[in-house]
Amino acid sequence: MKFGKMLRDALRSLFRKPVTVEYLTKPGRMVPVSERFRGRLTYDRDACIGCLLCVRVCPSGVIASTEDMKVAFNISRCILCGQCAEICPKEAIKLSTQFEIITGNKNGLILK
Amino acid sequence: MDAAVAFITSFPLVLVVSLLFEGIDRKIHARMQKRIGPPIIQPFYDLIKLFNKERIIPVTASTRVFEIMPMIAAAASILGASILLSNTLSGLGMIGDLILVMYLLAMSSIALMVGGLASGNPYAAIGFSRKMSMMIAYEIPMFIAIISVAFGPPAVLTIDRVIKFQISTRLPLAVSSLSMASAAATLLLCIPAAASVVPFDIPEAKTEIIYGFLIEYGGPYLALAKIAKAVSNFTLTLLVSVVFLYIPSLLGEEALINLGISLSICLAVSLLIMFATITVPRTIFARLKIGQAFKFYWMLPLALSILSIILSVIGL
Amino acid sequence: MTAERDVEREVEVEYTRLRIPFGPIHPALKEPVLLRVSVRGEEVVDVDMALGHVHRGIELLAEGRNLIQTLYLIERICGICSHSHTTCFIQALEEIGGITPSKRALYLRTLIFEMERIHSHLLLLGVIAYEIGFDTLFMFTWHVREKILDLFEKITGNRIHHAMNTIGGVRWDLTPRMVEEIDAYMREVEKSVKYIHNVFMDGTVEKRVCGLGVLSYDDAVKLCVVGPTARGSGVDIDVRRDHPYAAYDELKRDFSVVVERGCDVYARTEVRILEIFESINIIRAILDRLPDGPIRPKENVFRLMRGIPEGEAISLVEAPRGELLYFVKTDGSGGLKRLKVRTPTFSNLIGLKPMLIGCEIADVPVIVASIDPCLSCTNRLIVIDQERGESNVIDVDSLRHRVRRRWMRQ
Repeated sequence: MKFGKMLRDALRSLFRKPVTVEYLTKPGRMVPVSERFRGRLTYDRDACIGCLLCVRVCPSGVIASTEDMKVAFNISRCILCGQCAEICPKEAIKLSTQFEIITGNKNGLILK
Repeated sequence: MDAAVAFITSFPLVLVVSLLFEGIDRKIHARMQKRIGPPIIQPFYDLIKLFNKERIIPVTASTRVFEIMPMIAAAASILGASILLSNTLSGLGMIGDLILVMYLLAMSSIALMVGGLASGNPYAAIGFSRKMSMMIAYEIPMFIAIISVAFGPPAVLTIDRVIKFQISTRLPLAVSSLSMASAAATLLLCIPAAASVVPFDIPEAKTEIIYGFLIEYGGPYLALAKIAKAVSNFTLTLLVSVVFLYIPSLLGEEALINLGISLSICLAVSLLIMFATITVPRTIFARLKIGQAFKFYWMLPLALSILSIILSVIGL
Repeated sequence: MTAERDVEREVEVEYTRLRIPFGPIHPALKEPVLLRVSVRGEEVVDVDMALGHVHRGIELLAEGRNLIQTLYLIERICGICSHSHTTCFIQALEEIGGITPSKRALYLRTLIFEMERIHSHLLLLGVIAYEIGFDTLFMFTWHVREKILDLFEKITGNRIHHAMNTIGGVRWDLTPRMVEEIDAYMREVEKSVKYIHNVFMDGTVEKRVCGLGVLSYDDAVKLCVVGPTARGSGVDIDVRRDHPYAAYDELKRDFSVVVERGCDVYARTEVRILEIFESINIIRAILDRLPDGPIRPKENVFRLMRGIPEGEAISLVEAPRGELLYFVKTDGSGGLKRLKVRTPTFSNLIGLKPMLIGCEIADVPVIVASIDPCLSCTNRLIVIDQERGESNVIDVDSLRHRVRRRWMRQ
């Protein structure tokens, strides 16, 4: 019977620090994410040369071309695959480590 | 303290203490699983939320029974707990004895079962039949254990006399004689099943039959059902602590003078009992099947309770 | 119409039989499937299955996209074995296009593959513990799994959808520090899994999982079950050994195929526990012998995609749940003519019927969990649009244009 062992482990974890953490929304106090983390897109409009490669590889229709031969992003559709950042020849698109994308303002999710 | 005043004050006291107990149980359970867990007053938040929700009655339900049963369940368990608590609080004899408390506890769970069955949900029907078998398994040893108190050294069934007997012998009942020790052990073994926690949460196993007879309850009805459960769990632990493990009796007559102190000692003991019989089992065991649970209860607690009654008749 | 009538029939109570709907929404089932279980008392006498609650039409969607877009689309077929799906798809593409990835890329693919197997198996062990009401073991198991997800985040940038594969290689390389971290984690997971294995042999757990849900060897062969479900019934199949892909050909000596002859839930659970140890062995071998070199072709992935000619290929991998099969037919201009996916759960679900008949209601969730059903994968196979009761072809281009127009207006 291993009840005793289970009991011992349960009691031991009772007096230890729990492994779960509170969700903190203050920047700097959040659980750190790794360097390669793929978060919210950032776009450098000046660096963009309008090759539209990103439009063709985006799997979820985030990116659309604008009239002045640049692109615009609808971040609410983004699945964070990072393919656009990878294919961009000028590194105009990057993925930040910001993981909180939710907003109350839908227009805030359009990136130009 | 006047008996009537004690009885009336014990109603809110029972509610607050039993919900606090539930909160403590959930917190400790979470910490044993390496989680932070909910705040201790989470049960109060839950109740406030549930009481503010809309009432939903399934179309298949027979409305009256479905509506009224949670109220009966909550009322019965609160009444049972108050009788027990006011006896401890006032130290005076009043209405009701141990049999009444046990009866009210059983009635509270039967009312919930019937109300659930009235919802017409097939899962509730399975839960009902499972709870039925479980009640047969644990109620019989529990009743025998309580009756053996009447046959044993105290030879009474009113709560205040049992308390006074313990004070006069200056010993908790469970350590005073062999028969009472085995009766106390029987009750302790029956608490997990009566509180229906893992490993004996078979009637409301959430991964199997989705909380069984509670499945269709929501909003205020669920809040009442939750109160009924929390209060009857508290009553069970308090019952063992007052009747069998009345630690203040070690103080002798002091215990009857400083009733506040003896009550808090009793509550502390029942908290410990809750930790040992509700929190720990539900942390370290997996759920049993109905046949296995039945076998367990008819093997060990029933044998122990019969032993206790035989011993008390002989006079050990 | 038939669906409505079924719902009515389920609540009807016969004299001795009670028909209970088990799902599609049920706390024991992580994903929607409807099992119509007929019970007599506590005993299950018949079971009927209905799928299609999470049908997403991924195969059809894939036909309107180019290969790179499809790569990320099919990763979303399953959250647990996302890497298996992309690897299988990429292998088919590379076969059609005649592209050979570098050694290092293949090794890295295999590394992520085995880490995914560990995380998937740990997930299932936790789920089984949860089904039998052992919440503490569930928490402990998922705590171990949490660390491997963090490791995934460090290596690939995402916990679940790794997006590791690309045409002709992989997208992320290992740094020396990551190698150390993986190695340290493997020691830890080995210790923890030994502990979990120990607890699964504990009294109350054993009572709930031994001798349950028996699928005999003959049934397993006849019903063509795959993966750990088959191996738990004594069928010795494993794509990694039988048809080596990625780097498994060179790692042949570093692992063995775990086969149990118990045929019950316990055997299937134990196969998974022991497979975690085998995966640890493979990962250690990979870290030891990781070859140097580029991880992907220098060419732009768009150009590579354009270079894939018209053709068709079948690709097989051993996903954590069993054999996963892809049929890919390309149209020569970067698009797909046909994509067909046969997921392991589709094969395994059929095996549920012989397992379930004769057991108790209390055992149904455990048995269903023991084949590790991944229903989102399976439901993708149904090609009828059940929502409207008619087969409705979505014109992807028009849909995309409509959506784009709408948000551009904003």
